[in-house]
Amino acid sequence: MTEKKSGSQRPTSPHLQIYKWNISSLGSIMHRLTGLMLYFSIIAISWYIVYYTYQINISESSENCDCPMNEIINNLFALAGIAVTFALYYHFFNGIRHLFWDMGKGFEKSTVKKTGLLTIALSLIFTALTVGVTLYLKYF
Amino acid sequence: MNKIKIAPSTKSGAHHWLMQRISAIALIPLIFWLVLSFTQIVEDPQGYLPVFFAYPLNAVLGILLITTSLYHGSLGLRVVIEDYIPNKTKMHFYIMLVNFLSIVTSVAVVISIIRLHLIG
Repeated sequence: MTEKKSGSQRPTSPHLQIYKWNISSLGSIMHRLTGLMLYFSIIAISWYIVYYTYQINISESSENCDCPMNEIINNLFALAGIAVTFALYYHFFNGIRHLFWDMGKGFEKSTVKKTGLLTIALSLIFTALTVGVTLYLKYF
Repeated sequence: MNKIKIAPSTKSGAHHWLMQRISAIALIPLIFWLVLSFTQIVEDPQGYLPVFFAYPLNAVLGILLITTSLYHGSLGLRVVIEDYIPNKTKMHFYIMLVNFLSIVTSVAVVISIIRLHLIG
C-alpha cells in the first residue's frame, strides 16, 4: 500500500490505484483492457461487415477520392489495427496462461514471472511478424 | 466481523465461469484460422470480403468466430461490470445492455455473412 485511505474514500474491488505495480498485476490488468478493446473491436468490425454487405451496389465513389482526409483516416485505421492485433495476441497468449492456471499449473512465483514476460514478448513478436507480413504483401 | 458485507451473487456464477473457459477453448482454433486468413483480407478488405465469404469454410468459421467471441466477450464484460459498478441496479442495467448489444450484433452479422456468402 502506498497510502492510507479511510472509510468511504476506499476504492472499490480490485484496488487499481493502491497496489504496487508488478508483472502479475500488469498482466492481469492488460488482460482486462485488451479484452475490453477486443470486444468493442468485434462490435465495430461486425457492423462494418453489415454496412459493407448492404452498401455493396450503391456507390464506389469514396474509393477513387484523392482527398487528404481519407488518407489520414486510413492511416489512423492502420494504427488502430496494429493496436488491436497486439491486443488479440496478448489476450490469446495470456488466455492460454489462464487456462493452465485453471488446471492448477504454473503457480510457482518464478514460473508466473517467466510466463508473464513470455506472454508479453510473444505478443510483441507476433504483432511485429503480422505487421511485417501485411506490409510485405501490400507493397511487394 | 459483522460489519463485513457479503456482496450478493448475480446467481449462476459457476456456470458463467465454466462457459467463459469453454468459449475460450473454442476460440483457440478459430483464432488460428483468423490469423491465417488475416493477411489475405488486410491486403484489400473492400474487394476481398465477398470473395472470402464465398468459400463455405470461411463463412462457417467467420460466423462461429464472431458469435463465439461476442459470447465470450459479454461474459468477460459482465465480470468487469460486476467488479467496478457497486450500484446493483446500474450493474444489472449495464450487464443487460452488453447482452443486448452482443445479441443484436450477432444476429446482424450472421445475416450479413450469409448474404455475402450467397452473392459472392
